[in-house]
Amino acid sequence: MARVKSSSGCATAELVSAYLDGELRSGELDIVVEHLSRCGDCIAEFHQLREIRAGLRTLPFLEIPERLLPDSHPGEQLSAYLDGQLSTAEHDFVISHLDFCTDCRLELHELDAARTAVRSLPGLEPPEFLSVQRERIERERWTRRRVVAAGLGVAAAATLVFVTLGPSSDPAGDIDINPFFDQHQARMSVESGINMLPAFAPGPTP
Amino acid sequence: MTEEATPSWEDVARIYGRKIYNFAYRLTGNPDDAADLVQEVLLRVRKGLASYVPGSFDGWLWRITRNAFLDDVRKRNRRPTSPLPEDERNLAIASPSPDEVLASVRLSEDIQSALLKVPLDFRECVVLCDVVGLTYEEIAEAVEAPVGTVRSRIHRGRKMLREMLTWPV
Repeated sequence: MARVKSSSGCATAELVSAYLDGELRSGELDIVVEHLSRCGDCIAEFHQLREIRAGLRTLPFLEIPERLLPDSHPGEQLSAYLDGQLSTAEHDFVISHLDFCTDCRLELHELDAARTAVRSLPGLEPPEFLSVQRERIERERWTRRRVVAAGLGVAAAATLVFVTLGPSSDPAGDIDINPFFDQHQARMSVESGINMLPAFAPGPTP
Repeated sequence: MTEEATPSWEDVARIYGRKIYNFAYRLTGNPDDAADLVQEVLLRVRKGLASYVPGSFDGWLWRITRNAFLDDVRKRNRRPTSPLPEDERNLAIASPSPDEVLASVRLSEDIQSALLKVPLDFRECVVLCDVVGLTYEEIAEAVEAPVGTVRSRIHRGRKMLREMLTWPV
């Protein structure tokens, strides 16, 4: 007999569900049927439980994803397996599948060979024309720096001369620095190894 | 499949895979978790078949399934498995709709949401009974509990569902 009382207060709580499921034990069926014939509360509960049970049993029975079936193969999971990118469950499943599937073992072997081949490709030097191009760019960059430095040096020297000697009305005292600048710039474009221009500036001609 | 020859792993996957998936989905409410659980169960079956002693195969299989699920629950530290409805009032079954298909979908969603609120001990018995279709005796074997306990859990589980769902009588 049931030991738990139902919400109706009757001692038929568990028997109602078991009755619905055809799971009553010997002797219980008569008790339940007799009780239900005279207890409105238990009949109401019976109807409610029957509806719930029917609702549960009509839940859609979902299709299992194909990838979980033994006839399906891991496919792209094999590459992820090689790269250690599978979840634990996926990893175990692939291992399990490989245990019996010769085709997938072969495919895994081929994928591994391809993966190894790609990963063992040597690191290449850049082509020759790229090296030449790079050197030229580097040289031009240095040249630009030297020109700027030369300009600054010449300007500083000219300032120094002007301050030291002061303005002169003697045309012979004027110094045209342009030839020096041009000369130096020309030299710098062909000589290498000169990083800084000397603070070079001709003094006044004695 | 009781007291019969031990099936192969592939047979188990083909014959029981869909049931295991539905059991897992109804317990977790999540297709990804359900798929993971199926994979785990099939793996355990595959390992366990070597030492399987012919007997009640269903009981053995569902015990494995249930233990795999419980292990997963423990591993996840009993985190919520699925977003629940925003409000219990929304669990109320709507008035019959002209569109029976939509109503059916809504009903399924409501029942699924309510199922996830039923404590695990009761939920698994209800699902094994009403979704998987096991007898009380088979459920008792799967959950390793007396038949009387199973009967009580099924009944109480359904009553919890009834209380959560505003059910038209």
